[in-house]
Amino acid sequence: MSTGKRSTVHIDGREISALEGSNLLQVARENGIDIPGLCYHKRLSPTGACRLCVTRIEGRPGLVMACTVAVREGLRVTAFDDELEEARRHTLDYLLAEHDDDYDGTWRDELRELTDRYGLTDPAARRYPNICREIGYHADESSPVLTYDAAKCIKCFRCIKACEEIQGKSVLSFSERGIASHIIAGFDRWEESECDGCGECVQLCPTGALVEKPHRATIRLDRLERKVISTCPYCGVGCQIELNVQEGRIVRVNGVEDFSPNYGRLCVKGRFGCDFVAHPARLTTPLVRRQGELVPVSWDEALTLIAERFGAIRDGHGPDALAGYASAKCTNEDNYLFQKFVRRVFGTNNLDYCTRLCHASTVTAMLRSIGDGAGTNSIEDFARTDCLFVTGNNMIETHPVTATYVKAGVRTGMKLIVCDPKWTPLVKHAHIWLQPRLGTDVALLNGMIRQIFEEDLVDRQFVDERIQGGQDALRELRLQVEAYTPEVVETITTVPADLLVEAARTYARAPTAMIATGMGMSQQVTGTNNVFALINMMLITGQIGRERCGIDPPRGQNNVQGATDVGCSPRLFPGYIPVTDEANRTRMAALWGVSGEVLPADPGLSTVEIMHAAHEGRVRGLYIMGENPMVTDPDLNHTRESLERLDFLVVQDIFETETTRYAHVVLPAASFAEKEGTFVNSDRRVLRVRKAVESPGEAREDWRILVELAERMGAPIGQYESAREIFEEIARAAPMLGGISYGRIETEGIQWPCPAADHPGTATLFLERFNTPDGRAILNPVDHVEPGERSSERFPFILNSGRLLYQYHSATMSRRNNSLNSFVNESYVLMNPLDARRQELSDGERVRLYNGRGELTTTLRASKEVAPGELFMPWHFSESPVNNLTRGELDPLSRIAPFKLSACAVERVSTHTVRGQ
Amino acid sequence: MVPTQTLRKHPPLQENLLLILHELQNGSGRNYLTEEDLQAVAEYLNITRAAVYGVATYYSMLSVKPRGRHVIRLCKSPVCDMMGAPGVTRILEELLGVAVGETTPDGVFTLEESACLGRCDSAVSMMIDGQYYGALDAPALARIIGRFRRG
Repeated sequence: MSTGKRSTVHIDGREISALEGSNLLQVARENGIDIPGLCYHKRLSPTGACRLCVTRIEGRPGLVMACTVAVREGLRVTAFDDELEEARRHTLDYLLAEHDDDYDGTWRDELRELTDRYGLTDPAARRYPNICREIGYHADESSPVLTYDAAKCIKCFRCIKACEEIQGKSVLSFSERGIASHIIAGFDRWEESECDGCGECVQLCPTGALVEKPHRATIRLDRLERKVISTCPYCGVGCQIELNVQEGRIVRVNGVEDFSPNYGRLCVKGRFGCDFVAHPARLTTPLVRRQGELVPVSWDEALTLIAERFGAIRDGHGPDALAGYASAKCTNEDNYLFQKFVRRVFGTNNLDYCTRLCHASTVTAMLRSIGDGAGTNSIEDFARTDCLFVTGNNMIETHPVTATYVKAGVRTGMKLIVCDPKWTPLVKHAHIWLQPRLGTDVALLNGMIRQIFEEDLVDRQFVDERIQGGQDALRELRLQVEAYTPEVVETITTVPADLLVEAARTYARAPTAMIATGMGMSQQVTGTNNVFALINMMLITGQIGRERCGIDPPRGQNNVQGATDVGCSPRLFPGYIPVTDEANRTRMAALWGVSGEVLPADPGLSTVEIMHAAHEGRVRGLYIMGENPMVTDPDLNHTRESLERLDFLVVQDIFETETTRYAHVVLPAASFAEKEGTFVNSDRRVLRVRKAVESPGEAREDWRILVELAERMGAPIGQYESAREIFEEIARAAPMLGGISYGRIETEGIQWPCPAADHPGTATLFLERFNTPDGRAILNPVDHVEPGERSSERFPFILNSGRLLYQYHSATMSRRNNSLNSFVNESYVLMNPLDARRQELSDGERVRLYNGRGELTTTLRASKEVAPGELFMPWHFSESPVNNLTRGELDPLSRIAPFKLSACAVERVSTHTVRGQ
Repeated sequence: MVPTQTLRKHPPLQENLLLILHELQNGSGRNYLTEEDLQAVAEYLNITRAAVYGVATYYSMLSVKPRGRHVIRLCKSPVCDMMGAPGVTRILEELLGVAVGETTPDGVFTLEESACLGRCDSAVSMMIDGQYYGALDAPALARIIGRFRRG
C-alpha cells in the first residue's frame, strides 16, 4: 500500500523518486525502463506467475520478480545485465515450448512481441522442442462473444483477476493441474457459465488465448485505419471507449485504460454493441409519406416541406400548437440547438424528452430539497463509501460499470443495502435485501426514518446548521412518521420489522453513506414523494454534504444528464434557470441575438402532456429527434391515437422505428460514431464524443439539420462551423458549464459545476451549501398513499417492468447487434412459481397479459425473482409492448408516468388454432 | 442423498467447499460429483460454477466423471516403480479389462493412479476405496479383485 511518502530507488544506476509502497515494476516502466513481463497488469494485483520481470536487488538473495516488490527508500535494483536477460530468455523459451505460435493478426500479442525481442521467433533458436500438440489442449468457442484457446494460454491469471478484481464477477477459474491446467468458465463450457460477455478478460489477455469473436474473420490489426477515443452511446456511466476502425467500419471496441469514469472497464454493450452503426437498415436518405408509403426524397424537398408545414401550423394555430421531443441519445450540441430551435423557431416551451419518463420525479424532489437534480458524487465513490443504499436500481444490469465499483467496495468492507421488490443480481452481494411490495416505498422509508428517531441516530448538528427550519422542521417530520412503526410498516410492505430496523441502523450509523436511486423509485405516481422520503432520511442523518456521502440517480441514457443541462425542458433554460425568470430570458435572448419578447415565457408541456394535447388537438405538429415514444411512452394505444391525430409529424433518427410508422417525414441522422460533440454522464462529467466513421448515405448530424431548417423557417439559430463552436455558446449560456471547453476535456472529462476556465470542476456537490436560495436543504415530510391501481379479481397481478443487461431501451440500437441478441432477444414475463401453479401455467408457455388499456403476448417464466402477486417484464421488445398495459396517469409534481405498477390478468394463449371454414 | 441434506449440515461459507464436495461424492454412493451436485454447491455457497468446478477438477480424490463403485488407486511412487509397479499395472488392466483412468463396463471398478501412498515398506501398493493393500503380485491381485467381485 502506498503511504503517500516519496522515496528514492536506484535502478541500473538511475536515481528515481517514487511513492513508497508503489509497485517496483510499474515504477520502472513509468520511467522508461522496460522490464519485460506478461502476468503483471497495472489494474490488477501482482501475481508473480510468469517470472519474466526478474531483477537483482541489493541485499536480497537470488533473482527477485519486480512485480512483487514494493518500493522503499534506498532500494538498489539491477534491471538489465547479461545474466538477467539470459534468465528471461530461458523462461520465455520454456513458455514457448507449451505454446501454439500461430498468429492471425487479430489480437495484440505481448508474448509474440517479447519472443521477437529475445530473438526466439525462429523455432531453431529455441532450446526446447514444442510439445503443445501432444498436450491435447482444447479450445472453448461456445461463448457468443469470445473464444478461449488453451494452447495459446500462458496461465498468467490476468483473465481470472480481471473478472474477479475489476469486474467483481469471479466467473473464471483454473481447472485441472500442472501442464493440463486451463482456464474455465462454468463447468468448462463458456456459454453455460455465468459469463455476461463484458470482455474484460479479452482486453487483458496478453497472448491471444482470449479473443473477441465478432469480426474475427475480417479484422487485421496492421490494417486498422485509426483508433478513435469517444464516449459509449448506451447508459449514463459514460465509459470511455476506443473505436478501432478498419475499412471505414468499427471492428473492435476497447475500454480506455487511464481515465474516469471506467478506467478501461466496459460492459457487454459497450464492447460488443457498436455494430448497429454499420447496420444495413440505417436510414440513408430523407423519406416523405406519399399515399401511405415512405418514399425517398432529396434533403431540399424534405426540408422545404417541413418548413412549410410547421410554418403553417405555427402561423395558423399559434406556436403552442407545435412541440418537440429532444433526445437523450444525442450530444449536448445537438440538444442545445434543438431547444434553441423549439424556443426560437417554433416559439414555444413545449419541449421535453424521455427524462420525463425516467428521473423526472427524482430531479423534481432533488431540486426542491437540495437544489440540484444531478448525482452528488463521483463514480469512484461507489467503491469508497462505508455504506451504500441501492433502491429501485438494478445496477448490475442497467449500470454495469458503476456496479463494478460497488462490488469492489463490498470486497473492502462497504455495507450494501439493496431495496427492490424484485431480486436483482446485486442482491448476491448485499448484506441486507429489503423486498417491499410494489408501490410501498414511502411507508418503508418513513419506517426507517422513525427508527432513526427512536434510536436517536439523528445528526443534530447537521440539522441545526444545514436544514431550513432546523429543529422545528425535524419535529414536523417526526410527527409525520410517528405512525410508521416497524410492525405497521411490515403490514404495508411485507418487509420484516427486524430487517427494517437493521437497515435503518446500518445506514444511519455508517461514517459515510451514499444512496443510488433508480427507476423503481421514480416511475410511480408517487415518484416524487418516494424520493422526498429518501432525501428526508439522508438529511436527518447528515449523510450528504461531505465526501463519499450523498444521493446519486444513475442516468439511464448516455446523455440524459446533458440534455437537461443544456435546456431541453419545458420549464428550464440551459443551466437549470427557469423560463419564467425574466432577467435570464433577456440574457438568453441577447446571447441568441433576438429581442426578449421572442422567447416564450410560460412553461410548456411535458412529454406525456404533449401526447395528451395531441390527442385533444391542441398540439398539431411534433418534431421528434431520436426518440421512440411508440415503445417508451405509457399507454401505447393512447399514444398511437395521439400520433395519428397530428397534422404533421417529423421523426429524425438513425433507423426506422415503431414511431416512424406514423411520421409524415423521416430524416436520416448521424450516429454517435459519426459526429463530434459531448455527453454528460451520471457524475456530471462532460465527456468528448468523436467522429470515427462516415455517416451512411446522406445522413447528417442532427445540429446541421436544425440549423438549415431554422434558416428555411425564417428564424436562423446561428452559423456554426463545428460542434466546438456550439459548445462555446453552451458554456456562455449555462453558467455551471462556463469554465469547460473542448481544449480542457481533450483527455479526461470535467465535472460541473465548473464556472471558470481555471476551476477544476466539482467531484462532490454541496460540501459548503445546498443550491437553494438560503443554502440550506429542505425537509419534505410525506405520507404513504395506497397505490391508485390495485390488484382486483379481474386483474389479479401487479406488473413491474424494467431493463436487461443485453438490451437497451426501445432496442433501436441494441437489437441491431448480433452479439447482444445472441444473449437475449426475446420477451418474457416472470411469475412466482406459486402463482404459476395456482394459475396452472407452466414455464415456457405462451401467455396473454391484458387489462382495460391493452394486451400483449409473451412467454411465461416461473421464477422466485418476483414475489407472489407480482410480475416482471423487460420492456425492450416491441412485439410484446409492456406499455400497452401501463397508465398515462401522472405524478402530480413531476409528470412522470407509473411504468412500474399496472394491474393486469394473465391467461394461457390457446394452442388450438381456429381453422377457417 | 439429495445434495441439500448434505449442504445444510455445513454453514454456507466458502471454506467448507472441500468438505462439502467430499461428503457429496462419498455419501452419494456414486463416487463422483454430478453437475447437479456442483450447481447445488455453487448456489448454496453463493460462488460461481467455475469456482466449484476448478476445485473439483484440481484434486485427484475428487472426480466429475462417472466412476465405479470401487476406486482402485495404484501407487506411482519411484519405490513402487522399482519394485515392479509397471507389471502390476499390466496385470490389473488385464484382470479388469480396462486401462488406467477407465471404469469397468459393469460399473464396479475404476482404475486410477495415485501419488505416493507412503507405504514403501510394502511396495508395490494400492488402495481400494479407503483400504490399503501392499506387497502386490499376480496371485494377491487375483484374490483381492475376486473378493470385491463376489462382495
